[in-house]
Amino acid sequence: MSMSQEEIEALMSGAGDVSLEADEEVSSQENNSEESESEAVVEDTASEVVTEGTDEEVAEAEEAAEAVAETVIENEESSADDSESTDEDFSDVLAGIDGLVDDEKPAEPKEEPKEESIEDLIDQNQYPLPVKNENKVVNQLNQVADDSEEKASQIFDVLSFILDENNEIANYNKSMGEFIQREAKLLNALTTKFPNIQIFKTNLETATELLETTDKLSSKLNDENNKIFEAMELMQYHDINRQKIERVMAVIRKLNSYLNGIFEDESEKAEVQIAKHISGDSNEIVEADDLEALISQFSKEEQ
Amino acid sequence: MRILIVDDSSTMRRIIGNVVQQLGVAKEDFDEAEDGVVAWKLFQEKNDYDVVLTDWNMPNMNGLELVKHIRTADKSIPIVMITTEGGKGEVITALKAGVNNYIVKPFSAEVLKEKLDGLVKG
Repeated sequence: MSMSQEEIEALMSGAGDVSLEADEEVSSQENNSEESESEAVVEDTASEVVTEGTDEEVAEAEEAAEAVAETVIENEESSADDSESTDEDFSDVLAGIDGLVDDEKPAEPKEEPKEESIEDLIDQNQYPLPVKNENKVVNQLNQVADDSEEKASQIFDVLSFILDENNEIANYNKSMGEFIQREAKLLNALTTKFPNIQIFKTNLETATELLETTDKLSSKLNDENNKIFEAMELMQYHDINRQKIERVMAVIRKLNSYLNGIFEDESEKAEVQIAKHISGDSNEIVEADDLEALISQFSKEEQ
Repeated sequence: MRILIVDDSSTMRRIIGNVVQQLGVAKEDFDEAEDGVVAWKLFQEKNDYDVVLTDWNMPNMNGLELVKHIRTADKSIPIVMITTEGGKGEVITALKAGVNNYIVKPFSAEVLKEKLDGLVKG
């Protein structure tokens, strides 16, 4: 029996394997049914002997049952040998064809599908990334802009907090300065009135030093506040950078619209199944001689 | 002095708010809006602002449209546009729409103070 062109193509695309597998399944089912029938025969024979016969008859029946069982085992072994030899023949034929592309990959043990992170996919050079919302470029840029805005706001909160605290410190410092100034004025008066009392003089000197310290503290707080204002001004670049990102997003959106337009297929022609292996492809295809050999090999087997 | 600050960036609104606070404006004396629609609504509802400081590029209603809306209702209120749009053409467009002054981002607090002082005194 010869193969039609469709059958050859089906074989090349792996459909032949399916039919062969189906044949194997049928033969395996047949073997199984034969096996179960044989087992039933053995059991029936043995049970009949046990229920009806004498000891001698029982022994004879057991021997007969063993003989039947051995026959069954031999039959099983021979049928297994037959199926193996068929597989070997088929493998030999395929192995003899140069450049045949093996579409069927050996069955691997099934694993639970694992959710891989973007980092994993990038590490494995799996580009382009699957079209998911989190992988869409505009979405990612939007996310970056939003995250950046949020963080900038948090930074601003921190700066504002420092500014508020500095203002509070400045107020405490001012109160202390005013008090020390009043004390210094008092000590000055006492020192003038009681020049021989050393403690008034010493405390006046300390108060004067503390006044200078409060002035220095006030000056440092002002410098620090100015730096905070400077940092706040610099945070305008966050807004500027966000607008730059928005400009990129606008370009991507326009590009998306353009590409969608230019690749749009408005024809009503049904989608044609595409060829897997065409002459000239980088992956090798079966040569004419090999094809003929394959056909004749199959023809022989069919006969 | 009552001020309306319009910018879609919350950071920018805070920066500008900070500067006006340095000028002595209390926190409760300025309002913020994140786009032209909200700003226009506030402007109509409160109708007591002395100055409007607005960004240009914003969602829903941009700053230029907001200026045009405000000018239909109030010809005299000082409006300052604070934007990243630094082109000469944009400045002319904004001035034609009714903007009194124009600041290009990034700006220093001093520049905003000078412009505001000029507008309030003028």
